[in-house]
Formats: sequence, C-alpha cells, structure tokens
Amino acid sequence: MDPQLEKDYLDLVVQVVEKAGKRGVMAEAYLSGSQELNIEVRDQEIEALTVASDRGLGLRVLAGGKVGFAYTTDLSPAALDEVVDRALANAGLATADPFNRLPGSPGGYPELAIYDPDIEATPVADKIEMARKLEREARAFDPRVKITESCCYRDQTYVVALANSQGVAASYRGAYCGLSLFVVAVEGAENQTGFSLQYTLRLKELDAARVGREAAARAVRQLGARRIETQKAAVVFDPYVASNFLSVLASSLTAEAVQKGKSLFKGRVGQKVASDMVSIIDDGRLAGGIATAPFDGEGVPTGRTVLIEGGILRGFLHNTYTAAREGVKSTGNGSRGSFKTTPEVGTTNFFIQPGKLSPEELLKDIERGFYVTEVMGMHTANPVSGDFSVGASGLLIEKGELTRPVRGVAIAGNLIGLLEAVDGVGNDLVFFGATGSPTLRIARMTISG
Amino acid sequence: MLAKEADLMAVLEIALQRGGDFAEIFIERKRITSISCEDDKIERVNSGLDQGAGIRVLAGDRTVYSYTNDISREGLEKAAAQVAAAFQGEAQVKPCAFSRPRPGADFEFRRRPDSVPVEEKVELVQRANKAAREVDPRIRQVTVAYGDVIQEVTIANSEGVLVEDERVRCRLAVNAVASDGKIIQTGYEAAGGLCGFELFEEIDAAELARKAARRAVQMLEARPAPAGKMTVVMAAEAGGTMIHEACGHGLEADLVQKGLSVYAGKKGQQVASPLITVIDDPTLPSKYGSFRFDDEGAPGQRTVLIQNGILQDYMYDYLTARKEKRRSTGNGRRESYQDRPIPRMSNTFIAPGNDDPEEIIRSTARGLLVKKMGGGQVNTTNGDFVFDVAEGYLIQDGKIGPAVRGATLTGNGPEVLRLVDRVGKDLGFSLGTCGKDGQGVPVGDAQPTIRIPEMVVGGILEDEEGE
Repeated sequence: MDPQLEKDYLDLVVQVVEKAGKRGVMAEAYLSGSQELNIEVRDQEIEALTVASDRGLGLRVLAGGKVGFAYTTDLSPAALDEVVDRALANAGLATADPFNRLPGSPGGYPELAIYDPDIEATPVADKIEMARKLEREARAFDPRVKITESCCYRDQTYVVALANSQGVAASYRGAYCGLSLFVVAVEGAENQTGFSLQYTLRLKELDAARVGREAAARAVRQLGARRIETQKAAVVFDPYVASNFLSVLASSLTAEAVQKGKSLFKGRVGQKVASDMVSIIDDGRLAGGIATAPFDGEGVPTGRTVLIEGGILRGFLHNTYTAAREGVKSTGNGSRGSFKTTPEVGTTNFFIQPGKLSPEELLKDIERGFYVTEVMGMHTANPVSGDFSVGASGLLIEKGELTRPVRGVAIAGNLIGLLEAVDGVGNDLVFFGATGSPTLRIARMTISG
Repeated sequence: MLAKEADLMAVLEIALQRGGDFAEIFIERKRITSISCEDDKIERVNSGLDQGAGIRVLAGDRTVYSYTNDISREGLEKAAAQVAAAFQGEAQVKPCAFSRPRPGADFEFRRRPDSVPVEEKVELVQRANKAAREVDPRIRQVTVAYGDVIQEVTIANSEGVLVEDERVRCRLAVNAVASDGKIIQTGYEAAGGLCGFELFEEIDAAELARKAARRAVQMLEARPAPAGKMTVVMAAEAGGTMIHEACGHGLEADLVQKGLSVYAGKKGQQVASPLITVIDDPTLPSKYGSFRFDDEGAPGQRTVLIQNGILQDYMYDYLTARKEKRRSTGNGRRESYQDRPIPRMSNTFIAPGNDDPEEIIRSTARGLLVKKMGGGQVNTTNGDFVFDVAEGYLIQDGKIGPAVRGATLTGNGPEVLRLVDRVGKDLGFSLGTCGKDGQGVPVGDAQPTIRIPEMVVGGILEDEEGE
C-alpha cells in the first residue's frame, strides 16, 4: 500500500469532521482501507486466487447527547455530503444520553511494530508455494490424509485513519498473514477432519510444516472415533477449545454488558469468580498480537487490562461511553468491526495467562477423562446466562494417557461453574487469531453420550 | 442499472484477454438502515451505503477473483485487469451477446423500506420494547433490533447472462433478559423476509416481543436438561435448524464433489426414513431465504432433494454444475461482492406428513419436546451435527411436563433421518443467517412436527447421593 494513502486518508477524515462541524455537531470520522490476497490450493493446484481492495468511511455525530451514524464506500464529495446528512438525521431520532462523548487527543500514541514490509514485498509466487507446501506436509504426514477441504494462505495490509472534533487526528498502517488447513483422513468408509491455523504479523514466522503436520495429526487420530457412555469425569480442553470458551466469556467482561444487566460478573469486582489458577488479560499492545494497534476505534490509546487475577475479578473493559457512565477512564476497548459499525466495547488480544505444567503433566493424574479437541455449536452457548451445551469430540484419557478417539458426545454446564472447576492450567499458551489460551483441566463435567 | 451493457461487455473482455473460459461480473449497491433499542433507549440509528463489484474468471476448475469498491468503468477495468494478470496466455473465448433470463418467481414489495419514514421504524422498535418489558417484572433488559436492506445487483457473464435485480429484506429481532437475582436467562424471537415493511402488517411486533420475554421468564424456572439418550419430538414451531444441519449442508454440491459429505455418491439411494421428503425452494413468497435469481443470475427454482427417503439431487451453483456437465439448480449465492459464489441453501424444509401433531406427543411415553430451536452446526464429513434447544419440555406419559434449559441435541445426520418415525401435517418456519466459508447469507428453514426415537441430549447429570 502506498504510504501516501495513509496521508490522504487522514486528510479526508479531518475534512469530513470539519464538514460535519459546520453543521453545529461534534463528529468522528473513521476510514479504513485494505488490500487482501487469498490463495486456495487443492491437490497442489491453485483452486482460487483473490486479489482485492476495499475501503469505506463511517461517520458518528453527536448532537445534544444524541448519536447518529452513517457509512459509505463511495468517497466522492457528493456521497460524503450525503453521509453527513444521514448521520445528522439519524441522530435526530436517537435518545439523548449525557454519557455519549468523544474522547480528546491523548497527545501521542505508542510506536508499535505492526507493519512487516515483507508481507507486501514477497512475490505472490512464493506465497503460492507456501500454500502448496502446507498441503504437501499434511499429505506426507500420513498416507490416510487423502482429501483437502481447504488449504489457504491469506494476507491483508490495512490503513486506519481517525479524526474527531475533540482534536484526535491519527492513523496507522498494519499487516498480517496466515495459513489455514482443513484436511480429511480416510480409512475404509470412514472420514474424519482435522485442522490447524496460524495467523501472525511476521511473514517469516509462518511455519507451513508445523501447521500442515498438525492438521494431519488431528485428522488421523480421530479415525475410529465412537461415543462414550453418559458420565461425569475430568475434562481437558486443548488450547483451541479453551480459546473457544474464552471467546464466549468476552462479552460478560465488558462494562457494557454489566451496565445493561447482561453480565454474569455484575457486582462481583473484588470477589472470587474463578479458580486461583485462572488469570484473564486483554492487551491491545501485546507484542506480535494480531489485534495490536496504537489506538482503539475511538482514538483512545490501547492498553493492558487485567480482568481476572488469580481467580479474583479485577474490573471490566470500557469504551468512552461506558467509562463516562461510571466516571472512570476508557481502557481503550472501543472496538469497531469495520467502518460499518459504531465503536462498541470489545476485546483486543484476549487470553488466559499460562500456568506452569506441560499438557502431559496435566493429563498424568487423570484416571479416566475426556480430552476435548473440537466443539460444535459453540455459537449457541449463551454468554448472558453462561449456560452452554455443545457437541464435542476428542480423545479418551485412561490412566493419564490418551487412548482412543471419541465423537458424537456433548458437554454441558455453566461458564461460572467451569471457571471455578479449573484445576490445572498448562504452560502452552496458543493464540487463534486474537484470542488465546493454554490447555485447561476441569475437575469434573457431565459428558452426554 | 449499475453499469451500461457496453461497459459490462468491455470489462468481461478485459477479464478474459489473457485466458480463462468464463468471466462474470457482479455489481452490488446495498443500502441499509438499522435501529437498535436497549436500556429503554434508541441507542443506534445507522444507515449505510456499500457498493462494489466482484469479477471472476474460471479456467477449468481454477478461479481467479478480484473485488473493488470503485464501480466506475475505470474501477471495473482495473479489477478485470488484475484478474487477467493471473493468466499468461491469449484470449480463448469471447463474451456472448447478452440476454435476460426470466426469474423463477416474482415478488412484490408493497412498502419499500426507503418509502417508510424512519420515525415509523423507530416507533415499531419502541412498541416491541415496551411490550416485552410489560410481560414480567423479572425482565431486566430488552434489546430490539430492526434492520432493512435494499440490495440492487447487476450480474453479467461471458455466456450472455445479464440480470438486474433488487432484493428487499426487513427483519425485527427481540432479545429479552430475565433475572431472579440468582440466575439470568434469555429469550429470543425474530421475524423477517424478502419483503417490504408490509411484513409488520402480518407480524405483530408487540406479540413477537412478548413471546421472547415470556420465554426468558419461563427459562428462569426451568430445570437443567437431563443427560443421555432420549426420544425427541420437535414441534413445527421449533423451526428448521435440524434439517438445515442434518442434511442440508451435506447436499451442497461443492462439499459432495470434494468428498466432504456423507451423502456423496448416494443419489438414488435410501438416505432417510420413507416419511422424509426434503425440498429447497427460493420461490416461496416473502421467506427469509427467497430470491428471484441467485447471485450468478440463475433463476431460483424448487429442488426436491430427498423424496420419501430417496436422495434425488444436490444443490448446485455454476461451477459445480459445470463439473458434472449439468445445469445449476440456482443455488449459487454470496454474502456480497467481496465473495465468490458457492452452493448454498435458500428455504429448506421437510415436507409435511400425515400425523396429527398433538397425537405424536400423546403417543410418546417419555421424551423431550423441542418447542424452539436455536442455532446449530454440522461436520458434513462425518455427518455429526448439533442444534441448540432454546425452549424444551420433558414429555411424561404423553403429556407436556416441566421446562428444561441448556440443552443441545447431537446426532448423526443420516442416522437421525433414518430413525424418524412420525411426521406431522403441520409446517413451521424459522429464519437465520447461515454461515459457510466465512460467508453469511439469509436462509429460511422449516419442518413439520417430527419424532426421533433416539438422540443424545447434552444435559447435566445430577450428582449421585452423598457426593
């Protein structure tokens, strides 16, 4: 991406804020643009190649405590005038709220290493070769790995520019790249899938061999899986499954959910809400983190927030609105899905702090248990009530060893009960995108089979 | 029209100038309005304009794709050149002259949402909010979300297909949160369709909201679902998530062709109970998954997937149909110009049978009655699927017993469909956004009341005495 583009975008958001300011309102303009490359390989041939660019502007206006929002992908002067009109009209219909505010300029932002020039500079041919290698590694791992469901290399370079009537005018450029692989192992009439992925800020860190072998290993070890009887037993979540559970927990750790009575943790700051071994952190400046950025979707500098420390609830994530409502400072978690949405409270790099034991040591003392490597229907877990019931597959643990594959069972409970029942945290923190967790051991859970 | 015919032709020519045997351009202009109310406040009134174009060229099984927000002739030419740059040869085919196919069905949008004052939409949202809050003092929070979309598309390809279409959708969703001070529960209801604002003449927004609120309150008193195998009766009003997951996805031709479906190679075979007929039909008026043309310009059509338990056909898009030298079934859909079309469901349902729904419950000694389904997921490769029970009751001696909460049902698609032993004469629809390959598209699902003699209920095992 042309470095000039970042300057042009910044000029444009400043202009749009001025345009809205002339209509007598406070305003905030957010512009993001990206370039994307996506390579899909099957049987060593390119199945699909996508090269694309995209951008758009979102405008939030504040008039007498009322918020209005509009967005457009058309950046012509006429379209920008229309965006101002629409945002103003929308504000007229909203309910006034004195806590609707825009943050002022913090005076500076941290310099973060989030743009690796190699991502853009590396030729497409090399990236295609990386995707091919990914598939070859999986096939070479075991002859039973016969079908590629999807084998992808992906990268994105992006620019974000933000300005508001309170003096914020800033921009940044970033890039990330990743590999993902889903393969099928075939034996007789049985097919089982396995996957692995890696997203990183540094092209050199991509490890096609590791990702390829891991996906293959996960598929092959599920061959011959069958149900187990309904029982209560120790359950171990691998880092992927544990991260999935952590994602469901995310909304209940936002001040927005607390203020609206939708959080399990409401009124429990300072209390014990999880096992001593559990610490949960959100860090918007984490070195190497996919979600790392100098500022959030409102121009507030990102930071590190300890949410749960040794099982004690320490606090919640805030954006400017929720912070104003409680008279505290925003934690820099005003998060925007894209230019199409207003900044809501959201996580950045969000993870469970690793413990001391290796995954093997966590399994060692388990007489009989269930090691969960995949869950199905995680999106049906209810973040408000904390109730979850999900399909699960993985491996049976007998006398501290992983013995045979299991599928078609369900595990159920409540997230609070789950956090309290954690009796082991691994030392193997792994990130899946911006959410990460080590292996977690749960003392006892119902397994339905 | 989003582009002139001559411009479309020129862009297709550029896309094909260095090789490839098929080119297509999909231009979209989407205007949205969304309104949300929470905390008794109209918090967000948003409107948006998203426009862009996706260009693809096929060369055998290979796809090259590019998209852009710039839908001027220059922008489209640039994107087409970017696609062509992935090829090294000479032009192989020339685009054919355009002709416009007839749609599979025609729909009338009586009140286009852009003709409805936003004030009226806000009033609708407020009415739903008020109704939900009045249901019970234990209702602690209500979120009402209204959304409408007007999507104009122009689709043209090198085989001469040219389609201009407009899709109008409206939707209202209510999420109610109830708490008794100790536990929190939620209730959700949504209505929507390929239709204008006239939807709210048929759907009573206040009643929809009360239904969501009542469910939240009722779930406070529900006990945790039992764990293990049970007979399951699924009421028609529960919606169609089960059929969507148990066989819908497995009948999408891309998964079948890649060997990723348990239904691969089974055309003409018995894959379900003879009581089961499954149909995909985008031509049904005003359902959430309805359309006149799919996103490749193929007319929407009714496709019988399973008839009396025998697998009849899969759902195809252009690319998967071409691989088998047959016609698309008009199931090529995409979330937006940023996505390649893939085979997707539209409105998918189990056809009604002959049984009296109440009698199905009466004749069940013990089991679980599913009154409302939530979301679901399937692993098409082995057929294992799950779906969430948003409202469920125990059936005791043929009568509806106490409510249960927090259950997911899990099963294997072909196994469960073979087991179905009762099919009611009713039919209930639900709507949702179906996710596949990172793309979400609106779908409708439906089923009559059905009974499955055995499924695994993912509940909680009560602790043994003395523990």
